[in-house]
Amino acid sequence: MPSERVVMLADCQSFYASVEKAEHPEYRHLPVAVAGDPERRSGIILAACPIAKKAGVTTAERLGDALAKCPELVIIRPRMQLYIDTSMKITSIYQSFTDLVEPYSIDEQFLDVTGSLHLYGSPAELARMIQARIQEELGVYTRFGIAENKILAKTACDNYAKKNGSGLFELPKNRLSETLWTLPIGKMFMVGSRMTRHFNAMGIDTIGKLAETPLERLKQMMRRKFGKNSDINAELYWRIANGIDDSPVKPGTHEVAPQTVGHMMTLPRDYGKLEEIKVVLLELTELVCQRCRGKGYMGHVVSVGCMGADYDRPTGFSRQMKMSDPTNVTNQVYRAAVELLLKHWDGNPVRKVGVSLSQLTSDDEYQLSLFDPDREKHAALERATDALKRKYGDATILRAVSITPAGQAQHRSEKIGGHYK
Amino acid sequence: MRKKLEGNGLWESSRMMLPEHKVAINEQQAALRLRQRIELDEQEWEHVARCVSESLQQRRQIAMRLFHPAEELTVIGIVDRIDQLKGRFMVDGEWFAMNDIEGADIEE
Repeated sequence: MPSERVVMLADCQSFYASVEKAEHPEYRHLPVAVAGDPERRSGIILAACPIAKKAGVTTAERLGDALAKCPELVIIRPRMQLYIDTSMKITSIYQSFTDLVEPYSIDEQFLDVTGSLHLYGSPAELARMIQARIQEELGVYTRFGIAENKILAKTACDNYAKKNGSGLFELPKNRLSETLWTLPIGKMFMVGSRMTRHFNAMGIDTIGKLAETPLERLKQMMRRKFGKNSDINAELYWRIANGIDDSPVKPGTHEVAPQTVGHMMTLPRDYGKLEEIKVVLLELTELVCQRCRGKGYMGHVVSVGCMGADYDRPTGFSRQMKMSDPTNVTNQVYRAAVELLLKHWDGNPVRKVGVSLSQLTSDDEYQLSLFDPDREKHAALERATDALKRKYGDATILRAVSITPAGQAQHRSEKIGGHYK
Repeated sequence: MRKKLEGNGLWESSRMMLPEHKVAINEQQAALRLRQRIELDEQEWEHVARCVSESLQQRRQIAMRLFHPAEELTVIGIVDRIDQLKGRFMVDGEWFAMNDIEGADIEE
């Protein structure tokens, strides 16, 4: 067994579009895109197949713009549950080669194959084998970045494997100077357009220059720009540039207890009336509390956020308050949420609303309250409604306000991550 | 902030996961951990039978490993009754299924 780890990042090409193309063989030679619902402000391209991309269609552009560039584009409505299921099938295929599989997003997963290589040969051979199997079973093309740790695997995949013909790329650490370090700084993981500008202003225009800057010097440079608390980010960027990463591939990583439970939604139109905002606030609070109850948590701190409708003049707030006792009863949390809304909302139209609960504790025991003798009754009612929703779907039983025009619960229950199930 | 530099922090702080996807992953992980039933061969059955009858007849304490999907389960006590017809046995007033037995030993 080699002394170094062998880690792969496997990424699915145009994942949603590929899944749809596998489901619709009749579109095999046509440009296909998965796009949200144009009437409900989610009308953007979520994924475009390689043929569509060749015609100039890009992810996240508006549906109309894409159609202007490529009139024969086949538009498919998203089916999020199908994509999640397919992603899980891919996970199972990876798990048949190694038990160390960590999903990083719906279309990217880390694999630590150090212990399985003796069964399959070289890392590239193994990657080719997995790639062929996923192509054959699910019709999805996967690309593999292969290296000794996660950051290099991710880098290898993003910068090389996605662009070459085989979809495989091995990035050994001793060859960074002729590969990664020649790339412009904007190509580095975690560096977006804003950070690119900052690094350029510091005279760092390639990843190599960042890597060879002594860490202490980089910390100084970043402190000058971002203040005292930038040391950790400086070290993070420096490690990424140098390919230093000792993180494990951790299959159980998603099982940790959450710090906060929150829901946020972009409204289909701007809400200007207090009564309307209160409706979605209640619906979101219900969802948050429902999830807390399902996991057996109570929250002590509730936070409410509203974002104004005008992109050019950002308004809105995000505030939190501590309730008298931890709770997961919808009405109690809602009372606190409304209090925050009344106090901090400036009256401008709102585009986005969010509610979250934090400082979570177990709901095995709670403080009896003199002022809220009905808690047991509410809890029993919510146990019943939660059970109904689990069995028959979230729209099975709704609060009466949810069927007013402002209500979103019905629409939301048909969706995952803001897109249709 | 410091967490980004430790353990799996870099990846846990930067990933984008749908809550529904997370639930599916956790359910699959939990299912993977479920235990499979083991099958006893004749010799092992004979040993179990001897221990059980010894416990029943001589009132000796017995430790029996039973199948449970999620955890290791051992029943310790004295076998009070055996119900061949329903395939069950009683230890300290509680019935258990014979099918679940994965091993038995007389406690000294």
